[in-house]
Amino acid sequence: MASNDRVVVEFDQHNTEYRETYPAKAHELREQCPVVWSSKHDGFWVVTGHEVLSAISKRTDLLSNDHDPDGERNGYRGISIPERGTTRGGFIEMDPPEQSEYRRILNPFLSPAAVKVWDPFIADFTRACIDDVIETGRLDFVDDFANIVPAVLTMAMLGLPLADWEIYCEPAHMQVYTAPDSPNWDRMVDSTMRMVGRLAEYVQIRKTEPRPGMITALLNAKVMDEFLPDDGIIGTVSLLIGGGFDTTTSLLAGALDWLDAHPDERPRLVDDPRHLDLATEEFLRHFTPAQGGGRTITQDCEVAGFQFSAGDRMFLSYAMCNHDPASFPDPDDIVLDRFPNPHAAFGLGVHRCIGSNLARLDFKYMLREALRRMPDYRIDHAGKEQYESIGTINGFKHLPATFTPGRREGPPLAEVMADWQARLDAEPAPENLRAAEGAL
Amino acid sequence: MARAIVNPELCQGHTLCNFAAPDIFHLNDEDGHAFVVVDELTPEQVERARQAELGCPERAITVEE
Repeated sequence: MASNDRVVVEFDQHNTEYRETYPAKAHELREQCPVVWSSKHDGFWVVTGHEVLSAISKRTDLLSNDHDPDGERNGYRGISIPERGTTRGGFIEMDPPEQSEYRRILNPFLSPAAVKVWDPFIADFTRACIDDVIETGRLDFVDDFANIVPAVLTMAMLGLPLADWEIYCEPAHMQVYTAPDSPNWDRMVDSTMRMVGRLAEYVQIRKTEPRPGMITALLNAKVMDEFLPDDGIIGTVSLLIGGGFDTTTSLLAGALDWLDAHPDERPRLVDDPRHLDLATEEFLRHFTPAQGGGRTITQDCEVAGFQFSAGDRMFLSYAMCNHDPASFPDPDDIVLDRFPNPHAAFGLGVHRCIGSNLARLDFKYMLREALRRMPDYRIDHAGKEQYESIGTINGFKHLPATFTPGRREGPPLAEVMADWQARLDAEPAPENLRAAEGAL
Repeated sequence: MARAIVNPELCQGHTLCNFAAPDIFHLNDEDGHAFVVVDELTPEQVERARQAELGCPERAITVEE
């Protein structure tokens, strides 16, 4: 398609209209063209067709995730549209081969086999969160439950103090739900900078006090015989916090909100693990917590019959592609046993969500336990609050509910936190390869 | 002879083939990328391998009969 006959729309994934009409907006755009040009945010392509997404996502030769705010390489603006932040957001704002090196270091912590070791941790924290509310008959599914377990787990896997999850919680959520034109934007930038500052301090601390976990692994790793630069590590730790804190949380909230209106669907999710597996993929497809990713086109090219120019910005809308009827019949219906379901909720291509295995494990356990222990819960719709913008993450700030009170099954959260911290602290420290080479 | 093939250039470790057919597709311990552990598929396995093929987000699986 030549540039003069591109389909121009005024689409902004951060605005209220998109949130209020999700996922219907996808069809309005796709029916015009599976790749439209939005005049918002200085202009960008929006991919809404699953076929086009599949074709273009594998083209690492044509798409770049690079974020180069200082203009040292190409001046590319990273994965957020509009551009966000004045620093690179870890390996998701890098291209191969650099990106592949970071993932090679972190994959052993996040593979299907590796995440299994966290089963007892997830079980203990899930139980304790529910126990702390079970006798009262009310909770906020976000504040009291879905926010906590994924966040504490992320702390543990990074090798950070577990109780610090609370310090990062609000900044991590603000970072994703604040719309670019929000009056809270500056406050969000401040709180993000403070969060990154604190993480930077911890990266320094781990240089002399190594602990099992991903920060020490990054500090100990070498690429082309060199230790990784501090800013790459700090950006990556911030990325892992963002990815670890907000996505599983949003998926849980979306699923629990939907199950409020579909109580008959609850028992089978508790009793039938295969059904829960399929339902998890369907919730992922429908809600698509991480809604999409921005890219920069690296050269003039044609893909799937569309022509793009070097430097063009492009938003790969995983969410809208996941509602493409050509790939997913009746796409706006949640069909819990939908199969096949080759959704793009974790992204496609080399940037596939590195935490996908952990997310699935955590989500399935938490959803099953919530439904088992609060089988008759009802959402309090008056207190329900969606994110201001769902353009980055499709989630909720608050999701209060009531249920028939039940009995505790174990000790409270504070005790579980202290107990697990002691167990993690008792693990032997890894080797300190930087100290051994005097590279602190 | 029927067989399943995972294209390692396309597989990104979504792991859904392993959910559909755990006896056919195993996952690498390091990165979760899939590999086939059955040389020749039985007719029953062909059906599940086809499901894995249809369910793969990267279209990395082919089943040859």
